[in-house]
Amino acid sequence: MGCGRFKPNIGNASLNITSMMDMFTIILVFLIKSFSADGSILTNADNLVLPNSESRKKPQEVNLQIAVTSDMILLDNAAVVPTEDVKNISAEKHDPFIAKLEEKLKVCLAMEEEMVRMGALNAVQGKIAVQIDKNIDFDVMFKVMNTCGKAGYNNMNFAVMERDD
Amino acid sequence: MANKLRISNSPAAELDLKCFMNLMVVLIPLLIVSAEFAKVAVIDIKLPDSRGTQTDSTQTKQSAEDKSNKMLLTAIVTDSAITLGAKGGFMPSLFYREYHRYITKDGYDALIEYGPGISPKHPDGRELTDHERYDIFLYSTDDKREIIKSAYTKYGELLTDIEGIAVKSVNAGDTVFALTNPRRRIIVSNPVEFESKPLSAYDELKNRLMKIKERYRDAEDADDLIIAAENEVIFDKIVQIMDAARGAEFPNISIAKLRG
Repeated sequence: MGCGRFKPNIGNASLNITSMMDMFTIILVFLIKSFSADGSILTNADNLVLPNSESRKKPQEVNLQIAVTSDMILLDNAAVVPTEDVKNISAEKHDPFIAKLEEKLKVCLAMEEEMVRMGALNAVQGKIAVQIDKNIDFDVMFKVMNTCGKAGYNNMNFAVMERDD
Repeated sequence: MANKLRISNSPAAELDLKCFMNLMVVLIPLLIVSAEFAKVAVIDIKLPDSRGTQTDSTQTKQSAEDKSNKMLLTAIVTDSAITLGAKGGFMPSLFYREYHRYITKDGYDALIEYGPGISPKHPDGRELTDHERYDIFLYSTDDKREIIKSAYTKYGELLTDIEGIAVKSVNAGDTVFALTNPRRRIIVSNPVEFESKPLSAYDELKNRLMKIKERYRDAEDADDLIIAAENEVIFDKIVQIMDAARGAEFPNISIAKLRG
């Protein structure tokens, strides 16, 4: 009779992970390609969207960074002055600057000079990384740059996002 | 005989991938943490020592600079035109119409012409915010405010003739130059490979700056450009102008302010 129960003669069943290995290999190659050992040296904020640019220059580590968002101007992630107050500084002034920011920048420059005296730094570089939201007016940008220049920070690195090719 | 060949009855041997899997499970999270998906770059700006920006220089140091071999090339940016000026005078203004591309989280993607007092709206009735604005396009216009069309390569490079004037269309056998630095000569064999698009004001600006660079390479400040803008011009536009300037070999960029 043909009604006997069919018993497959299998050994220990093993999971076939070949396709998973293929997937892992692809992910690994992709991740190695986008690997960065530098880490992020920039401020993260919801209302800070950097403009796209064709620049390919890599950011260097700087001692000081300033971020200009639509709400606030931050120096080393500490809020200094609301952006609205900066807009209200008279644009007709010959040399418009942000007094509170200048005060803080001068303190930072004095600290840098002190570090040079102590031998921790070779020279006062006057370098500052500037991150400006792409929708900020030129008026605010100019006042921030003018203030940095007045305080002695003449070398500015504007942070931008690399445009996709 | 003891030397008889024994045929094994076991299934085919499999490679033991457990240790490789362990390695992957450790390596992939590590790489995900340190991966850089959006790449940040920088644009260098070096302000002249002893002055914050160029504001003082335009008035107090003008007379001294007049006597030197300096061009003092300046790009004046307003909400409707970009004008290049130097010590000798001004070039004709480059008028443009401004279009903003908005992309929202719900997939709405639209190109809307910008104008004073116009607030762009989403189809659901709400106003679109600045942070939904993905890109800004400036299209060159003629005297009647009509957008100028120009020929581009498939890589998005503007095509010019030998004198550096943007060409509207190409025919087989034409010799044109792509707006790269230095300009790349192309002999057109198949006109279908090129497309007619609105002439970007940034491309035209780069084209004009390259012509100035070619002509005044010996000037003392041949690498310098001053960008002077109106208060309302947004930072994104300034960065695109900086890109055009650096593409035309003007790496030293300063900022100045237009006086009312």
